[in-house]
Amino acid sequence: MTDQAGEAMTPLVKNAASRPPAASLRRRVRPQSRWWTVWLFLLPALLLFLYFKFIPMFAGIQMSFQKVRPFLGNEWVGWSNYAAVLNDSRFHDAIVHTLILGFGQSIGAVIGGLVLALLLEGASKTLWFVRTAAFLPVVTATAVIGEVWRIIYFPAPNGFLNSAIGSLGLDPVRWLEDPAVALYSVMAVGIWQGAPYNMVIFLAGLAGVDRSLYEASAIDGAKLRHRLWYVTLPALRPAMTIVLVLAAVRSLRVFTDVWVLTGGGPAGATDVWMTRIYSLGFERNQMGIASAASILLLIASIALTALALLITRKRAEK
Amino acid sequence: MFENPNKAGNAIRGLAFLAAALCSSTAMAQDALEVWSRSGPQAAETYKAVFAAFTEKTGIPVEYLATVEFETQLQARAAARDLPDVLIYDQASMASYANAGMILPVVPEDLAGHDQLSEASWDSVRMADGGYYGVPFSQHAQVTFIRSDWREKLGFDVPQTHDDLSALATAFATQDPDGNGVDGDTYGMAVPGTTDRGFFTWWLSSYMMQRGGSFVTGGEGKYTVTVNTPDSVAAVEWIQNLFCGTPSLVQPGALTNASATPFFAENHAGIYQTGPYAIANFDKAPGKDKYEIIIAPAGPGGKTTLTERTSIYFGATSSKPDQQKALAEFLISPEAQSLGMTAPGQPVVRLPVNTTLNAAEIYGDDRWAVVADQLTDSQLMPSDVDFTTARLDIAETFQSMFSQCTSDIQGQLDGLAGRISDELSQQNALQ
Repeated sequence: MTDQAGEAMTPLVKNAASRPPAASLRRRVRPQSRWWTVWLFLLPALLLFLYFKFIPMFAGIQMSFQKVRPFLGNEWVGWSNYAAVLNDSRFHDAIVHTLILGFGQSIGAVIGGLVLALLLEGASKTLWFVRTAAFLPVVTATAVIGEVWRIIYFPAPNGFLNSAIGSLGLDPVRWLEDPAVALYSVMAVGIWQGAPYNMVIFLAGLAGVDRSLYEASAIDGAKLRHRLWYVTLPALRPAMTIVLVLAAVRSLRVFTDVWVLTGGGPAGATDVWMTRIYSLGFERNQMGIASAASILLLIASIALTALALLITRKRAEK
Repeated sequence: MFENPNKAGNAIRGLAFLAAALCSSTAMAQDALEVWSRSGPQAAETYKAVFAAFTEKTGIPVEYLATVEFETQLQARAAARDLPDVLIYDQASMASYANAGMILPVVPEDLAGHDQLSEASWDSVRMADGGYYGVPFSQHAQVTFIRSDWREKLGFDVPQTHDDLSALATAFATQDPDGNGVDGDTYGMAVPGTTDRGFFTWWLSSYMMQRGGSFVTGGEGKYTVTVNTPDSVAAVEWIQNLFCGTPSLVQPGALTNASATPFFAENHAGIYQTGPYAIANFDKAPGKDKYEIIIAPAGPGGKTTLTERTSIYFGATSSKPDQQKALAEFLISPEAQSLGMTAPGQPVVRLPVNTTLNAAEIYGDDRWAVVADQLTDSQLMPSDVDFTTARLDIAETFQSMFSQCTSDIQGQLDGLAGRISDELSQQNALQ
């Protein structure tokens, strides 16, 4: 056992070169005789996945073709649930809101995360404290964040944010109440919450930047912005890939922030794909249509993730 | 790791044990009568006391779940085809559950004590097809809560008309009634404008009726959509002005607040039209001596408010018909009804459906006489057809109009009327 573990740690090439072929053959046979060990380790996780992910997913696909009535028997309706989703103007609005919100939040959080990372990079004790403070929004429950921001956004002139902008001489804004503003207010909360997460990934990326490159470019007379553009950003490409792919995957599923802040209102101005699904499924009891919308969301998420991966991979190849 | 086959065996035995334990816990739960209600923690305490009395009397154990996520959790159980034995919930949901086959029909005459309930109570649980699907448990009308200390400080009388009400709300919003020297931190009315479960519709319906408007009219399973008639449009114009006039007479954020209750409880708003279930909370804050409960001030259409009812339903998958019946019989008995009003917590029986009881006497509180009085001039939303979708649509449309302060009320209401008509005609409930 110990021997095997040791082997795994050493590079493959070295093993092949240093070991007599007979020994390696004998050793290779041994794990194969216990192929089921691997599966035994995987079994608990697979069972959990099967029960809580795959079975519900297939049930969802099935339900998306049915009029769901658990006690009267489900009725097969073919593609009409999908047609209902695709022809519903409120779904069109929700999709537009989802895209605006997803795009804005992703870009905002990437830029915010990058700025935070550049400001807070370093090893000093104070920075460690500030970084922890900056990271707090990520680990705080979204429901709590929603309540806090509802207080910050309180629409009266004496509300927190309104009194702040009031001291600059600006008129109070009905942050979450005005249909023209609400979506952007929600977006700001999403950025505030998402940026520190990206910051951590960027900080890890920054730690890997070769310091001598900065020095060399400084000697060549590069200004700060040149150094950022030609040294830091290229070095952060792998981190950027991770952040963008994660953002692409997450952006379509945005739900909690919207739900706790506005519930999709006012006037449906912040209604997104997921709040629409929730409302159809649990408020209007149209589980079939809600399932169809969920399956469409799944397909869109997969497509978007594949696209993000493709773009970043092509870039990396260049 | 599994060098020793015994270890693998142990793990498998462990899993088997776990599975067995899960099965046996379900089996144990099967013996008790499973009862669900949509309640917060305070009301849950009261229900527990009622069920404890039931168990003591009949020997039938009750496994009780109080949840505010009632619909979501019930959907999950419906999908598993394993419903609670008894559900205690809003009258408003009966039709949708009955149409989905989730609750069983009830024969009133089979229940001991059924004759102690009024005809109006039994009518409320009758579906359009004439079948009864619930047992009435509690009833009340929405009443108007007013900060009497603020009102007296500003020198106003108890409002009798909508004009009085507007004047009082304007004074609350502009004249610093809490005397803290800060203008603009108090508001006229607390309004629950959330579309969650179509909640806004309930609040709106009272003012619609008082202004002579309505969403639909009719009964016995056939309704006419009246939300876009001239009377209703005029009513909506008046209500929109509460939100969009200068000064706005409702609390800021009314249309996205999940609850308006804190605004009244925490000294921010002085008028709140809601159900008497709020009394228990408001006696703590702002305080029993600081507010009054009045009959709704009269508008051009009168002083009618919304009737709200809670009923008992029998889950369709239950294998305990006798116990279900026993619980329902107990819950409508004078003993359980009184207990539901007075046990520590929050009254879950607001006004008794059992006609042998007098609420104000049991509570020892004259404010409940006001609620009883208002009940005689109140109206239930259609509950013999599935009004859920219409209710959500009404809430969303009104929220949309008021948040944009639309100038096209007629157009928006015409659109809404069309959607409600479609919904009702799908159920064959359009007159």
